Amino acid sequence: MLIERVLIFLIFITGFIGLISMKNIIKKIIGLNLLNSAVVLLFILEASRIGDKAPILNDKIQNIVDPIPQALMLTAIVIGVCVTALSLAMSVRLYKTTGSLDITIIKERLENEY
Amino acid sequence: MNIDNFFLAPIFLPLLAASIVLMSKSFFPVKLRRFCEYIGILIGLLLPILIVFLLYPYVINNGSLSIVIGSYTPKIGIIYKFDSLSLVMILLTNLLSIPAWIYSRKVGPAHSYFTALVLIQSATIAAISMTSDIFNLFVCLEVMGLVAYVLIASKQERSAVFAAFNYMMYSSSSMVFFLLGSFGLYRLTGSLAYQEITKTLMTLSAKEQNLALVCLLLLIVPILLRVAIMPLSGWLINAHSKAPHAVSALLSGILIKIPLFVLVRVFSLSPVLQNLTLLLSYIGAATALIGVLFALAQSDAKKLLAYHSISQIGYIVTAWALALHHGIDTTIGALLLIAALFHSFSHAIFKGLLFLSIGTATDAAGSRDVYKIRGVNYMLRQKGEKFPLTMICFLIGALSIMAIPPFNGFFSKTLLTYYVKTSIHYTILSIAGIGTIASFIKLSRIFLPSKEIKKPIKELPTSKFPFSIHLSLIILALLSLLTGIFAQELFGLLENMFISTNQRPIKATIFFSKSNLLKTLYTVLGGILLFIIATNKPGSKILHKLKSLKTDFTDQYLAFAITIAFLSSFLLI
Amino acid sequence: MKKTSFFKIFLTTFIISLAVLPIILSNKSWPTLARDYLFNQAFNETGASNTVSSIYLGYRLMDTLGETLVLLVAITGTMSILLNLHKQTLESVETESSLSPEKRPQNALRTNLVEVVASKLGPIILLFGLYVMLYGHISPGGGFQGGVIVASAIVFLALGTEVKTKLTNSVVLSRIEAFSFISLILVTTYVVFFTDGFFSSIATDSPFVSASIIILLNIIIGLKVGTSLAVMIIAMMGGQHAH
Repeated sequence: MLIERVLIFLIFITGFIGLISMKNIIKKIIGLNLLNSAVVLLFILEASRIGDKAPILNDKIQNIVDPIPQALMLTAIVIGVCVTALSLAMSVRLYKTTGSLDITIIKERLENEY
Repeated sequence: MNIDNFFLAPIFLPLLAASIVLMSKSFFPVKLRRFCEYIGILIGLLLPILIVFLLYPYVINNGSLSIVIGSYTPKIGIIYKFDSLSLVMILLTNLLSIPAWIYSRKVGPAHSYFTALVLIQSATIAAISMTSDIFNLFVCLEVMGLVAYVLIASKQERSAVFAAFNYMMYSSSSMVFFLLGSFGLYRLTGSLAYQEITKTLMTLSAKEQNLALVCLLLLIVPILLRVAIMPLSGWLINAHSKAPHAVSALLSGILIKIPLFVLVRVFSLSPVLQNLTLLLSYIGAATALIGVLFALAQSDAKKLLAYHSISQIGYIVTAWALALHHGIDTTIGALLLIAALFHSFSHAIFKGLLFLSIGTATDAAGSRDVYKIRGVNYMLRQKGEKFPLTMICFLIGALSIMAIPPFNGFFSKTLLTYYVKTSIHYTILSIAGIGTIASFIKLSRIFLPSKEIKKPIKELPTSKFPFSIHLSLIILALLSLLTGIFAQELFGLLENMFISTNQRPIKATIFFSKSNLLKTLYTVLGGILLFIIATNKPGSKILHKLKSLKTDFTDQYLAFAITIAFLSSFLLI
Repeated sequence: MKKTSFFKIFLTTFIISLAVLPIILSNKSWPTLARDYLFNQAFNETGASNTVSSIYLGYRLMDTLGETLVLLVAITGTMSILLNLHKQTLESVETESSLSPEKRPQNALRTNLVEVVASKLGPIILLFGLYVMLYGHISPGGGFQGGVIVASAIVFLALGTEVKTKLTNSVVLSRIEAFSFISLILVTTYVVFFTDGFFSSIATDSPFVSASIIILLNIIIGLKVGTSLAVMIIAMMGGQHAH
């Protein structure tokens, strides 16, 4: 019960710390992915508490889980993947034009440019 | 199809147009593609403006139209509601996208994907303004954000890509908090629709009410990040100054205003949130002042305009917060909301004008440093411009933002400050006005003649100056003039929409009163004085210190966390 | 320098945990209103046994439309950032799994093993992806899931050399993508503007007919997602001129 939610919270905090403190931009993108995954897991976990069968209806089934968070999380996962794809493309471009993946070095090299 | 469905047309028409543009990209040769783009803009941006005028009779006196999409039950389906706020937002978006798109035909990104993205942005903003469902709001905000990131990064320069990357990381991670907030609200109330949530929130116990307030804060702060008020505005400077010029106009004009007016609906979810609004109005006034101070210190022309965007959004946030403080169903609250809407409209017009004209000027001069460039008119002549239209349009934009009649800036700023007369906001906003004038005097120095000896004008090689630039500048300048001249009538139209008949104010606002004109005169004199101080030794030392303040990636998140902590402690204690 | 940034990170994380912890650890029971309503009515109103499909293609169609737009915008952005779309020619993308046959000696990752196995597996995975797409309304699956599987199948076909098919040609794929986007907009416009209780009147007669819109939407979304992802990956592998 409690241990699952504490673990999800730890994944969330790990992702957040990775996003704000790591200097490599690929690690920041991984941190963002961890944040998204933690929230998706949280939704699905909590929604599954009110039932025990998958929400596919047929004649005999009773007691399905709440299907709304599952549909919402489909959308959230696709949005997360799209943001990841776009940010990875940007980091490839930044690497090719500045020669580094470290955010402080990139900022320095872009400093004098308008 | 009946009138109940008709108001959804401003969402689907631009999407249809975008799909036609994308089809033409894959199937047709190049010439036919450009023709399809024009057809697409006609269907997607002009037709919704006509539809919005047709829908005007349904939203007078605070009326609204609402429907559940697909006619399902309102418990599970998504409800869309069209009211006067949606009308103004759709009109603002579509009207301002047209000159920006025209400008981009020759100068900016000119491939079909740009047209499709502008159309998708228009459809998304129409959806945001009408939705009554939290998760649909999340999806539409993400689409709007993604369109902004891609548009900024379309310049193919490394600084633009980095600015887009920074904005994307910051904004996407804050939307994760939005998702958490909607998780909390769904758990507490069992529904995702605004009306259902409002009803259920009132029946909860006290401890659950506190949890609901934290969730609502986690919904509000990510949207405030998009609006870029002061602690949360680290992304805006680079994003707006490094983007292509048409995109800067779109971003400054539209994308920082729309989230603010969506917040009007989010704030109606719980009456306790009204306690926050006075604090937000002080933050808005402080933003207006600090933005102008930083703007005075800049040497890059586009960064100066970006800081001015922050300052003007501070004005709008002040009026908006005070409107919510009094309550938008009272007369004074609705009048403040109208002032905020009118100022966002005029700001979009004159900021677009400024970005496009300064963009053309700095492209011709080859540099963006306001201390070094002089005599831009000569360089524009070199590019083939026969009549100094760019300078005239820049002057119109500058006079508007300095709030000088008869341009629209004077009317909207007077309207705004009229209703905040008896409080400290008035003082702060007036000081910000003085700062605006000083920094625009500084910016307009680039048009002064330069001291070098140049070739006489007749011997210059003439190339053709793109007509699209002149067309977009003329459209925006005409809009600025017309909304200024007809300000009283426009204000009356807005009053019809937002205030019910029995609450109409008896006296109309007088714009050209003696005190207003005297105040304008004093502001101009104060601005000239400030400019002289700023360009002398001690002033420029302070400004230089301001310019070299640097923030890095982590600081943005610190600002985010501090905002959440500050607002939640204000609410819960 | 190190100390101040450590302090900033600690302060930020502390405040965020304080804000987020009560939401994650709250003990309020999950509401059952939606689940009960859907358990009774979802099949009658939309004709789909898979409740999740009936939600995201029936009740909450606007969310799916927004999601498709997110995918479209992101793929457009990714391709334009990586490939400089506004220029008429593509930059030469040098990768080790490049598809152009004249680079074969340098393509270190294109071994014979990869090529033969990928080309044999490609059609099977394509069939599986089509199955997931078409049966989305009665078993777990649907447009997005099936579309991603179709995209990986097309990439397999592109990696293999035993197969000569038009399906890996970028021009053909982008035409299918544009066509599926316009059909998605047209079908959504039809559902939103012209239905007014369409499903409830027909569902009582024949569940298959009322599920037809859901099947159609699944196919269109699957084609859109599959072809756009495949176009992006094939373009990144430099395969524009290959087949």
